[in-house]
Amino acid sequence: MKRFRFAHHPFALGLAAAVIAAAASLAVAQAPRSGGVMNVMQREDLPQGFAVHETSTVSTSFPALPCFNNLVFFDQSKPTESVDTIVGDLAERWSWQDNYRNLVFFLRKDVKWHDGKPFSSKDVKYTFDMLREAPEATAKLRINPRKDWYANIEHVEAADAHTVVFRMKRPQPSLLMMLASGYTPIYAAHIPPAQYRTSCVGTGPFKVKEWRKGEFVEYVRNPDYFVKGRPYLDGLKFVVIVERGTRTAAMQAGQLDVAFPGETSKTTMEQLKKAVPQMVFHQVAQDVSDNIIMNVKKPPFDNPKVRLAVSYAIDRRGLIQASHQGGAVLGAAMLPRPYGVWGMSDKDLSTMPGYGPAADMKARAKKLLAEAGITPDKPLKVEMATRAIAVYVDMASFVINELKQVGIEATLKQVETAQWHAMATRGDYQIGANLTGLGTDDPDANFYENYACGSPRNYSQYCSEEIMKLFDRQSQELDPKKRLDLVIEIQKRLEQDAARPVLAQRLDYFAHWPHVKGLVPHHNIYNFTRFQDVWRDK
Amino acid sequence: MKTYIAQRLGIGLLTLFGMSVVIFLMLRLAPGNIVDILFSTGGYVNPSERAAIEKELGLDKPLWAQYADWIGQMAVGNLGKSYRYDLPAWEVIKPLVPVTLELAALSLVVSVLLGVPTGVVSAVRQDTALDYLLRVFSLAGLSMPSFWLGMVIILGLVAWLGWIPPVTYVRPGDNLGLHLIQFMLPALAVGYRSSALIMRITRSSLLEVLREDYVRTAWAKGQSRRAVIWRHALKNAILPVVTVIGIEFAFLIGGLVVTETVFNLPGLARFLVQAILWRDYPIVQNLVMFIAVVVILSNLVVDMLYGVLDPRVRYGH
Repeated sequence: MKRFRFAHHPFALGLAAAVIAAAASLAVAQAPRSGGVMNVMQREDLPQGFAVHETSTVSTSFPALPCFNNLVFFDQSKPTESVDTIVGDLAERWSWQDNYRNLVFFLRKDVKWHDGKPFSSKDVKYTFDMLREAPEATAKLRINPRKDWYANIEHVEAADAHTVVFRMKRPQPSLLMMLASGYTPIYAAHIPPAQYRTSCVGTGPFKVKEWRKGEFVEYVRNPDYFVKGRPYLDGLKFVVIVERGTRTAAMQAGQLDVAFPGETSKTTMEQLKKAVPQMVFHQVAQDVSDNIIMNVKKPPFDNPKVRLAVSYAIDRRGLIQASHQGGAVLGAAMLPRPYGVWGMSDKDLSTMPGYGPAADMKARAKKLLAEAGITPDKPLKVEMATRAIAVYVDMASFVINELKQVGIEATLKQVETAQWHAMATRGDYQIGANLTGLGTDDPDANFYENYACGSPRNYSQYCSEEIMKLFDRQSQELDPKKRLDLVIEIQKRLEQDAARPVLAQRLDYFAHWPHVKGLVPHHNIYNFTRFQDVWRDK
Repeated sequence: MKTYIAQRLGIGLLTLFGMSVVIFLMLRLAPGNIVDILFSTGGYVNPSERAAIEKELGLDKPLWAQYADWIGQMAVGNLGKSYRYDLPAWEVIKPLVPVTLELAALSLVVSVLLGVPTGVVSAVRQDTALDYLLRVFSLAGLSMPSFWLGMVIILGLVAWLGWIPPVTYVRPGDNLGLHLIQFMLPALAVGYRSSALIMRITRSSLLEVLREDYVRTAWAKGQSRRAVIWRHALKNAILPVVTVIGIEFAFLIGGLVVTETVFNLPGLARFLVQAILWRDYPIVQNLVMFIAVVVILSNLVVDMLYGVLDPRVRYGH
C-alpha cells in the first residue's frame, strides 16, 4: 500500500500555507489598535464627583478610575485578585523590610499630573496622611469611610523624591491589597481634596474633558501617560442613564459599548443574549453580599439563640433561586472559590447555620426559638428594615417569608437611602436586610470594617474580644496557608455567632460588545475599569 | 389693562411667597438631609464630621435664618450653591431649562395639531362611526400614562429595529436632524396624552357653539361649511381650549419627570427628582420657584389671550 505523504502533496502545502496565512492575519487582527472612543454605561450621576476617597460607591469609583493611578494595582488581565496578582503602578517596585513592618515603595520618575506638575513621594505621603488622619496631615477629607484600612500605618515617610516608606505598628502583609484597590488612588498634594468633587487632576491614562452634570463624563487620552503606547483609546464617555430599562435598551441598540459593573443580572443577560447573540458576557462575582444585620444591643437580638435561629431559618439556596434567579452563589463572609481566595469550601459551608437542608435548618431554628421562649402561640414580632431599593426589598421580602415559617412575624419597613446608613450606624433598628460590597477581597478590609468592635460600619454592633484577637492574628500571619486556616476559622465563628449572617454572594454577567477588547472583568466591581489596555476592534 | 396686569403680578408675587414657604418647609419635613446622603455614599455616619458639614452648609442654623438667607440671596439674584455638585445653583440649572422648555413646547405643538382637528371632526361628525373612533382614540390617550407609552416606544423600537433615539443629549447646533429625532418621540408620547384632553374640550365646546343662533344664521346665509365651522364656530369655541393649553404647558414644565427619565433627556423635571432624592435644597427650592413662575406667567398669558381672541373680554380699569 502506498503511503500518503502529506508533506509532499501540493494540495497539502497549499493548505498549510493558507492556514499559516490565516493564523497570521488573525494575529494581526488581534493586535491592539489605537483610536476610537468607547461609550460606557453609568447608572447615576457621580455622587461625589471624582472624590473617590470620600465615597464607598461604585457609582463614583467606576467612572473615576481612568483618571487615577494607585501605588500598586491588580493585574488587569487576571480576574481573580490576590496579593500575587498585584503589579506596580506609580510604584515601579516595592520591598518589605523588617519582617513586614516597613514597606518601601520605589516610585516611577516619569510621571506627571494632568496639569503638568511632576508626581513625587510628597503626593503619596499627602494622600496617606490625609486618609489615616495623621497629626501631620496637611489636608482633611470631609468624609473618610476607609480610615480603618490604614489604622496600622504608624508613619509615612517621603525618604526622597521617589522613595516612600510606610512604617507599620505591626506586620500586615495584606496592606498591599488595600493599596491595590480602586478605592486607593493617589491624590495630588497641590490640589485641595474638595476640588476632586468637581474635577479631576490625576496621573491616569485619561484626562477629564468635561463632566456635564446628569449627562456624561467625557475623557480624552492623556498624551503624557507614563505607560508608553497606552491608552489605546482616544477617549471614553460615561453616559448617565438613570432608568434601568433605557440602559438595557441602549446597550442592546449599540449606543453603549460596555455595561456598568454589577448591572447585568442573569435575567438581563438572558434577555440581551436572545436579542444580541454576539454580545459578550462574563460571569464574575461582584464581591457584594446579601446579609442580615441584627442589632445585638437591643432585644430580642441581644439573645444569641434568637440571632442563630434567624440564621438557621433562612434558606440560602431558596433565596438564590427566588431573588437572584440563580445569579448568586453560596458563601460566608469572604468570597468563595474560584472567585476569591479566602472563602470557605462547600463542605465547610454545609455545616454552617442555614446552609443545610431547608427543613432540618428550620427545625433547628424552631428549637432555638423555643429555648428562647418563643413559641407558635407566643410568636416574636419584629420590624425588618431595609433600603427602599428593589434589590434590597426583594431580599427582605424573601427573608420575612422564611422567618414566618419558624414563628417570627416580621413587618417590612422600607427606609429611604437618606436615612439608611444613619439608622444602621445609630443602631436604630431591630433586624435589617443589607448589602455589603468589599473594596478588595481581603480579610483585613472585611473584618476590620464590618465586624470589628467599634467600627462605624459594623451595623450589628457585634463585638467579641476573642474574635478581635483572631482578626489581629490573621492580619499579621506571614504564612499564607496558616493565614487561610485562621480566616476560615474566623468565618465559621462569625456564622456560628450569627454576627451578620451572609445569605448569598452576588454574581454579575458583565456585558460588552465583541469589538471591546482587552477588558477583563474582575471578581470585584471596584478594581478593573481603568481602561488603560482596552481597545476597539472596529 | 396696565392696572390689571399689575394686580395679577401682585397676586403672582404673593403666590410665589406662599410657594417659597411651602417648598422650604416641605423639604425640611422630609426625613434626612444632604449630609445623610453624603454619609450614605460613604456607608457610615460620624456625628462630629456630620456636624461639621452641617455647619459648613449652614444647615445648623435655625429654620427662619435659613429661609431668610435663601430669600435674601434670591432677591439679589444669587441662587446659592448646589450641595451635591458644589457649584453655583444657576450654573447647574441653566443648561436644563432649554431642554424642558423645548420638550414642553414640542409636546404642546403635537397635542394641538392632533387634538384640535380631531376635536373639530369629532364634533362635526357627532355620533358617527368616525366620532366614536376618535373618542376611543382620545380616551386611550387619557388612559395611557405618557411614561408607560414612552417605555413601550423604547422597548418596541429596540426589539423591532434594534435602534433607539440617542441617549446622550444632542444639541441643535451640533446636529439639528438628530436633535429633532431625539425630541420627536418623547414629544409624541407626551403630546398624545395632552391631545386627548384638548380633543375632548374642543369637541364639547364646539358642539355647544354649533347650536348657537349665530351659527344657525351663518348656515342660513349660505356660508360655506369651512367658513361656518373654522371661522365662526371654532373661533368662539377655542377659548376653553386655550385655557387647557395654558394649564397643560404649565403642567408639562414640572410634569415631564418620567418622560425625561425614560428618554434620558437632561431636563428640569428629571433633575428635580434627583435633587429631591439628594435633598439638594438650593436646587430644589429654586427649580420649584422657577416652575411656579412659569405657571403664573403662562396663566397670565392665557388671560391676556382671551382679550385677543374675544373682543367682548375687557380687563378692569
